[in-house]
Amino acid sequence: MRSFRKALILLLSGFAAGCDKPHDAGVVNEQPEKNTVKQQNVTVTVFAAASLTESLTMLGNKFQEKHPGIRILFNFDSSGTLKRQIEEGAVSDIFISAAPKQMNELENGGRVLSGSRIDLLENKVTLAVPENNQYQFNSFGDLAEKLHDCRVPFAVGNADVPVGQYSQKIFSYLGLKQDELEKMGCLSYGSNVKEVTIQISEGMVTAGIVYATDAVSAKLKVVDTATEQMCGRVIYPAALLKNTRVQTQAEAFLNYLSSEEAKKVFEQIGFTLLKK
Amino acid sequence: MDLYPLYNSLRIALISTVLIFFMGIGTAYYVARMPKAIKGILDVLLTVPLVLPPTVVGYLLLRFLGPHRLVGAFFFENFDIRLTMTWWSTIFATVVVAFPLMYRTTRGAFESFDRNVENAARTLGLSGSFIFWRIRIPCCKAGIIAGLVLAFARALGEYGATSMISGYTPGITATISTTVYNLWRTNNDDLAYKWVLLNLLISALVLVFLNLFEERRRKS
Repeated sequence: MRSFRKALILLLSGFAAGCDKPHDAGVVNEQPEKNTVKQQNVTVTVFAAASLTESLTMLGNKFQEKHPGIRILFNFDSSGTLKRQIEEGAVSDIFISAAPKQMNELENGGRVLSGSRIDLLENKVTLAVPENNQYQFNSFGDLAEKLHDCRVPFAVGNADVPVGQYSQKIFSYLGLKQDELEKMGCLSYGSNVKEVTIQISEGMVTAGIVYATDAVSAKLKVVDTATEQMCGRVIYPAALLKNTRVQTQAEAFLNYLSSEEAKKVFEQIGFTLLKK
Repeated sequence: MDLYPLYNSLRIALISTVLIFFMGIGTAYYVARMPKAIKGILDVLLTVPLVLPPTVVGYLLLRFLGPHRLVGAFFFENFDIRLTMTWWSTIFATVVVAFPLMYRTTRGAFESFDRNVENAARTLGLSGSFIFWRIRIPCCKAGIIAGLVLAFARALGEYGATSMISGYTPGITATISTTVYNLWRTNNDDLAYKWVLLNLLISALVLVFLNLFEERRRKS
């Protein structure tokens, strides 16, 4: 085991020295030294959309088993919140957003390591209901009629959460006025998709709009899936961040997320892994 | 600016304060008379929500009151009432969280109440409830009012358990604290500042009231 570790560290330091000469030559030179001095304390921090909680936690554990020198640390929340945290200087090496918008904004702000951005995953947006579906939501088409009965609210993500932005698109596709519904007190806003998911699974709301993957993880009943015309494609971009100090290791983890093994985990939950 | 959150917060805080007033003096009265060992145990149980993170309180409340859970399912199935996601659901959270403040200050006041006064009243043939409401409560007024103000302030500012049990439904469950949080999440700084200022104002008023009251008490 120990020789395996040594071999791995050698491999990683070789990797570090070998690649990415154009950017940050200083970092590249420091890397092998750091690896030999602090052998096992390399931490890669990943800021990822809340909908990735289950799949990435599992993949993080698998990756750490294979690479004992690297620790993967996650911060899961709505992509909008994560974006703001990164802008305000939070230390993070990888960002995986549930929509291109947040990544674009970070890229425009010069926070993303150029050339590292990939479209990692695709998800679907679904209409999910509590166990007994008491309010009989059977398709997105039902929203127009049923949403106006507001005794119990309908759950969506707020305007800052990607799943909330996809919901906005679905509402306008269906010709529903979201601000009107909001004024009538028919909408409950979750601050990330997991909050919306819980409110559905606990039967606290009539129904809600969440990702297909969250519905699978929480074993929710899905009654309808949004088409591309309704809300566009749901692409999850991933990128390394410019101020990363562990670029090699972060890159290794990001590559691992596109591997066959990762593909299986993602697909089990309902993600589609996009080809690079 | 839609003032619903202010109205909702104030009504929640007022109703919880009234409930807490009766619950607080009731429990404080009985606990203060218990033997020391039992008093110690009850004290811990009754005060624990004060030191628990509000999210833990919210979690436990949801585990009982959610429409699929023990108490929640009972009301839901028999009366078609949901105990969560309504404006009054928040009262469960605020009562649990603010109760210990009232209870502790009142118990302290009751313990320093001179029993001789009570006994003297009894020799004069006064009834138990008369002694309680007309002698004991006025004597312990200072502690009780301090407890009420603290409980009111805590109820007004409750966020963690509230957001878990009532969520954020504009126009229904929105309180000042959940509104500020949501405005921050959605990058609406202008409105967030207005609510923050309003909140500071209310808190300042509560503190001024508390100080004025203390001063008056010291003079008398």
